[in-house]
Amino acid sequence: MARSVWKGPFLDGYLLKKADKSRNSGRNEVIKIWSRRSTILPNFVGLTFGVYNGHKFLPVIVTENMIGHKFGEFSPTRTYYGHGVDKKAKRK
Amino acid sequence: MARIAGVNIPTNKRVLIALTYIHGIGRVKAAEICTKLSIPDERRVNQLSDDEVLRIREMIDADYQVEGDLRRSVSMNIKRLMDLGCYRGLRHRRGLPVRGQRTHTNARTRKGPAKPIAGKKKVTK
Repeated sequence: MARSVWKGPFLDGYLLKKADKSRNSGRNEVIKIWSRRSTILPNFVGLTFGVYNGHKFLPVIVTENMIGHKFGEFSPTRTYYGHGVDKKAKRK
Repeated sequence: MARIAGVNIPTNKRVLIALTYIHGIGRVKAAEICTKLSIPDERRVNQLSDDEVLRIREMIDADYQVEGDLRRSVSMNIKRLMDLGCYRGLRHRRGLPVRGQRTHTNARTRKGPAKPIAGKKKVTK
């Protein structure tokens, strides 16, 4: 079910401070965040976030289309390379 | 014969049912249209007057997204997710279920028919 509108978008407040800080300083640096649950707001557009996936900070360049999504959606937590081909079976 | 919203030619069924042959119109929207135009339930499509057919056509054109337009907007939405590189997009790309269902078993609708695993031994009695 969708979130009630009157609550506004959910995000961890400290992200706003972090975003402001990096904007005021010399731009284009990766802002490391752990808060995968936070909504991407319009004023994050153009910034680069390093979103933690439990292993690494994956760089996410925020574009206009991403507004309304959560940060976690852009930083996959699982690695899957597909099933290897069984060598024994091939020989037969 | 009545042509409504492009190619659809519903037959001598009741209007309520015939309208559901249009992609994007189900029972609910069909009922909505019928009540708005005050067409009785038991009226069949071949009993509609030309004027009524015209009004149905106009209403669908104006108020509802159907057929090609609807298909396009759906596929555009999916394409947007895929281009964005978000999790849902990745799932669409791989042809796996998008909304967190299990894939250990089942998920055959998205994954298609089961592929045999090479070299797996058959259990024989």
